Amino acid sequence: MRVLVDLNRCQGYAQCCFLAPESFKLVGEEALMYDSGPDDALKEKIERAAASCPVQAIMVEYMNGHADEMVKSGTSEAEARHGA
Amino acid sequence: MAGKSLFQQVNDYAHRANPYPLYAEMRKTPVLGDEDGNYAVSSYRLITELLHDPRLSSDIRARPPDDPKQQAVAQSSISPAFIRTDPPEHDRLRRMLTRQFGPPHTVGMIDNMRGDLEKYVNGLLDRMQDRKQIDIVDDYAYPFPVDVICKLLGIPPEDEKRFHGWAEDIAFSLDPAIGEEGRKLIAKGLVARNELGQYMRALIDVHRKQPGNDMLSRLITDSSADGRLTEEELVSSSVTLLIAGHETTVNLITNGTLTLLRNPDVFERLRHEPDLIIPLVEETLRFEPPVQFNSQRTALADITIDGVTIPKGAPVYLMIAAGNRDPVRFNEPDRFIPDREDNQHLGFGSGIHYCFGAPLARVEVQIALNALARRLINPRLVVDPPPYRQSAVLRGPRHLLVDVDGIKP
Ligand code: HEM
Ligand code: SF4
Repeated sequence: MRVLVDLNRCQGYAQCCFLAPESFKLVGEEALMYDSGPDDALKEKIERAAASCPVQAIMVEYMNGHADEMVKSGTSEAEARHGA
Repeated sequence: MAGKSLFQQVNDYAHRANPYPLYAEMRKTPVLGDEDGNYAVSSYRLITELLHDPRLSSDIRARPPDDPKQQAVAQSSISPAFIRTDPPEHDRLRRMLTRQFGPPHTVGMIDNMRGDLEKYVNGLLDRMQDRKQIDIVDDYAYPFPVDVICKLLGIPPEDEKRFHGWAEDIAFSLDPAIGEEGRKLIAKGLVARNELGQYMRALIDVHRKQPGNDMLSRLITDSSADGRLTEEELVSSSVTLLIAGHETTVNLITNGTLTLLRNPDVFERLRHEPDLIIPLVEETLRFEPPVQFNSQRTALADITIDGVTIPKGAPVYLMIAAGNRDPVRFNEPDRFIPDREDNQHLGFGSGIHYCFGAPLARVEVQIALNALARRLINPRLVVDPPPYRQSAVLRGPRHLLVDVDGIKP
């Protein structure tokens, strides 16, 4: 699976780091580091993390053998972003 | 009564079971002032804007001296907690508390609690196995988060009997002070806060002498670049964590259960699809938010938005529950869609005061609702709508009676 965080949107709330600490880490006060190709075993935790992001900056993509299923947690680009 | 403002009606207990038509009416005038001088903001866009606007203060001391809430704070024997302060004080306190709660300093604590939490809710259900009727509030949704926050902080759970009444009075005093009744609630809240403060002071003393492996002990002994928490800061922070930790979560568990019982097809789906719980809890936070509106904000300057000027010193209410159903932001906002996409709800607020306990609350409620779905056999709502608690801000049922054919092991 692949994970993508829109770091322009991310505001360092760290909600993801609470729920999937294996994949999302805070460096210093509010810089986010994350694993973009996590193990499939972490699927549930990563879904929890993506759902909890207050600005919906996390996108999760699954590649399964047959069709590529894209599960999108982030908002579309047309959606206005509200400032920090 | 004719002539009541929309905001007064929202606060009127008569509308507690279903305030949503009032919120829809309110959104037609997204910045709405009334004769009490209260301003209600109800569109999604303006609420999010104001939650990020430094001209809106969380500090009640910014209100004029004749404001009942301002007077209560002035008479309180404990200092305002970080939920009621502005930067830089707020940020400093929040940083110091976060060190003992989450990343980067404390990594994985909440996630690691899952096993114990699952054990606890299943234990509650085990003890009800011969029952045909349960009260979701008293038997389940209340005891669970109380136990969790007590153990986390290092408060003996059996002391619940002592702080229950205080916690409730404090929760009710978050409502706006409307009329004589409102002022009474504020006065009761003040007494309760002082008493709970006394209790915490004594408990902090015990933990100082004999630190344990709990958050309170770690907060007492910790020091960082921000220094140490003072005795006053420890008292007000722990009072806030205790109240915020259970008076809200009880409502999310209960509102979630009620919504599932009203949508039996979704309840059935959850039984087969436990992962659905993740977006489902977010949708509950949007659809029936336990905190219906922020009731503690004050304008620090004249603020003009959408052509309306909110005068300096005015109380401003950010109507989360109205913004969460704003059709400009959400498709079919009055429908409960358990796997709704793009669900950037305001249930935990937004901006610098974004709920401190959100990760814990999410884990608790996901576990509590999934256990009900898995174990209750043929659950049926007994009274609809159920009786509600007094509070308009922290809105939720007082009881939620459910008939069951049994409880699976
Ligand atoms: C479902 C349960 C919960 C809901 C719906 C909820 C909701 C909220 C909301 C809307 C705010 C923003 C208040 C504002 O902007 O003034 C908030 C702040 C806060 N919440 Fe929660 N909350 C919940 C559970 C918890 C728990 C379990 C804790 C404690 C462990 C907690 C602790 C706090 C604290 C300390 C703040 C203040 C944060 C700050 O001012 O920086 N909450 N919560
Ligand atoms: S929860 Fe969202 S905003 Fe917060 S750090 Fe993670 S990605 Fe960024």
